[in-house]
Parts: sequence; C-alpha cells; structure tokens
Amino acid sequence: MQYKILNGQDSQPCGVTIVGENIFIPLYEGNTDYQQFKKDLANGVALSDAEGNPMTADQIKTFLEGLA
Amino acid sequence: MTNAVSIAQGGSNNVTTRNRIINGAGLIDQRNSGSSVTPSTNSQYTIDRWYAELSQASKFSVQQNAGSITPPAGFTSYIGVTVGASANVTVGAGDDFFLTQAIEGFNTYDIGWGTSNAKAVTVSFWVYSSLTGTFGFSLEANGNNASYPILYTISSANTWQYVTITIPGTAIGTWNNGNGIGVKARFVLGCGSTLSGTSGVWSSSRALSPTGAVNLISTNSATFYITGVQLEAGTTATPFEYRQYGTELALCQRYYIKYSANDANGGYASFFGGSTASNTALVISPFFPVSLRAPNPTQTWGGNLRLGYSAGASATLSGISASNQQIGVTGGYGAYTCTSHALGAQAFVLPGGAGDTTAYWAFQSEL
Repeated sequence: MQYKILNGQDSQPCGVTIVGENIFIPLYEGNTDYQQFKKDLANGVALSDAEGNPMTADQIKTFLEGLA
Repeated sequence: MTNAVSIAQGGSNNVTTRNRIINGAGLIDQRNSGSSVTPSTNSQYTIDRWYAELSQASKFSVQQNAGSITPPAGFTSYIGVTVGASANVTVGAGDDFFLTQAIEGFNTYDIGWGTSNAKAVTVSFWVYSSLTGTFGFSLEANGNNASYPILYTISSANTWQYVTITIPGTAIGTWNNGNGIGVKARFVLGCGSTLSGTSGVWSSSRALSPTGAVNLISTNSATFYITGVQLEAGTTATPFEYRQYGTELALCQRYYIKYSANDANGGYASFFGGSTASNTALVISPFFPVSLRAPNPTQTWGGNLRLGYSAGASATLSGISASNQQIGVTGGYGAYTCTSHALGAQAFVLPGGAGDTTAYWAFQSEL
C-alpha cells in the first residue's frame, strides 16, 4: 500500500488517496481513516507527493507537522 | 408483571433504545451486500458497524449469513466469521484478531463509566461455532486505559447458544461522551499474551482478551457466528431489541452511506446532483439521508459510473480524483477531476449507475 497526497485547486494538500484505489481521505483529525493514515506512515508505509514523487522520512515529517 | 413493564418502570433502561449495539443481528450490509469479505488491513469494516482487527492480513472472512445455516428463532440474519482454509495461524504474543464494534460516546454516556456513578451493563448474544471451549469478549475505553475481558463458554459445537454477560461499572479510564468512541466491544478470535488479562476484572491496561480464551483463528476453516448482540445498561439481559429495518439502516448510515446502483431497478440510479466545471472537472452536491457522525467523511467510489444530463442522455464518468471538499454532516460540496466527459462547463449532471449493479459512491464517517 502507498499513499499519495491530493492537492486542491489552490495547489495545497486537501487529502490523500491510496495509490490504485478510488478513495479520498480528508486531512481531518476526526476522520478515523486519517488517523489510520498517520499510524501507517509511522509504521513506514510510503507517501508520495501530489506529482507522485516518493517522499523521504524528513519530507513526510515536515508534511505532517504542517498539518498540526 | 411482564418483562417489558418491569423494564419501563426501571427508568434507566427504556423499552426502546436499550441496545447500544447497532446492527447486532447483522441485518445491514451496505458495503458487501451479503458477499464475503476477507479483511486485509487492520480496522477494515465488514458488515455495517462491525470491523476486523488483525495483526496478520487475510486470515479470516466475514459474511452476512456465512454458511447459510438456520439462524436462531426470531432472526433472519447473523454475522459469520470463517477462518481461512489455509490460514495456518500460530498466535504469537503480540498477535490479535477481533471482531469489534465501536459504540459512539453519545450512546453510552449515561452509563457513567469513569465516574463514581458508573452502572453495570449486560451483554447478550447468540453464538454458534464449530469449536467449543471458553471464548473471549471484552470492553475497552476509548482512552485505552480501562478494559474488561471476560470468558464465556460454548459447550456444544455447531449449535446456537444464548450467552449473557453482566459487567460491573467502573470508575477508571477515560471515556468519551461525545461523537468519538465511547466503548469498544470485542469478540476475540485470537489474541496473544501481550493484550490478554485476567477474566472478569477491570484493568487499567489493555487487556482485550481474557487469558485462556480459545484462539479460533488457529483452527483452519473454523466458524464463529453471532447474532442478536445487545449491550444494555443494568444487570438483566432483556430480549433483543428489534428495530424496524429503516431505523436500523438509518442508524448505520450515521457512520456509512453507500449510494448504489444495486437497487433492483435497472442500475441507473442517480446518487446526487452535480455540475461540470470543464470537460475534466466535476462538482457533486450530496445531501445525506441522515446526519453523519462527523464532517469530512472518507469517500470511495467505483463501478460503471455515468453522468446523466438530459432526457436519458449520459456520459461516462471515470478517472475520478478528489480535490477541494467541503462536506459536512448533512451534505456539501465535492470537487473532482476526471477523464473528459465532453460536456463542457456548467452542465447540470446526475452521477449514478450506467445500467448495471456495479456503480457506487460511499461516504464513511466511522468511529
């Protein structure tokens, strides 16, 4: 499984999807799939940016910090 | 005095809305429409409101009326768990396998757990398994700092058996009283020592299975079916609270709503209104039949989708990717890019099915 960031019309992240699946997970703390997304990242599941480029651990950390 | 009158006079346990469990008979299955699902990820939902917890992927399946046996008298459905024929699971210390329902805090706050006014609850259910022995059930606070594992016995294989368990109130733990998880109720399918604890005792640690419980998951092709699951305040197990189908469905839809073309009406159901912003852009405007638990639901979609736009004309809808979303608890606005539908901008459209049963669009706001 691999997550990918989705950007909104303002080119800012608006959610994530799972590569190969028709799913939209909002960046909302009250959403359990978002909570699971964060757990999965902590367990090493990969994340790519909106262009599909794999993100490094530092880039993922910065991304998550930006959401807090 | 009838049981019902006694309950009404008890005050704390209404004749209706006694059961804090939703879909305790497995009657509602929006996601899979009765088909089997083999959970591959932790917390994957199966039959409405019931999710699988697992430390090893794809070791068991869940299906409404699995095995097609006759349910207990008064029921037409049950929740069936079947261990894979070649699962070959050896439960390690850190392994865990559960069938779980998280109950919303709004539906448990009156029980008063975590306070000096905590009440007892009684859990009752029908169970049928290919195995016999002492099985496990547990409750846990959302703060993961109060849990109560308890053993119950299945004495005869492949026979429906009614089980009641009374659990005392507790003042320990952090319990949510709002739209988060109030309590997690777990049927143990397998659990190692790390998450196990003494049966019949409240613990401030995560004791999600009673020590000594049968690890169903370790027997290939083993079956475990439940129905009539009820959790109610008090020390008496009252008869299962039958709700009208529409009521049970609405209770489930607070957490998951699936618009589907699998409606026995030609497969052309329109799900909600929408409009186009360009050849490759779509906006939808769902209005939910019931208020969701929380805003910003997860969305999934699939199957042969189309955009109806006038007098039966339609365009294929595919290649969908979400962008801006403003979806609240009653509905809202969702924008997407998609493969060209060639309708240009500012067309009013009706996303829906393309004539078969496959199309769906779902909104999930589970606990």
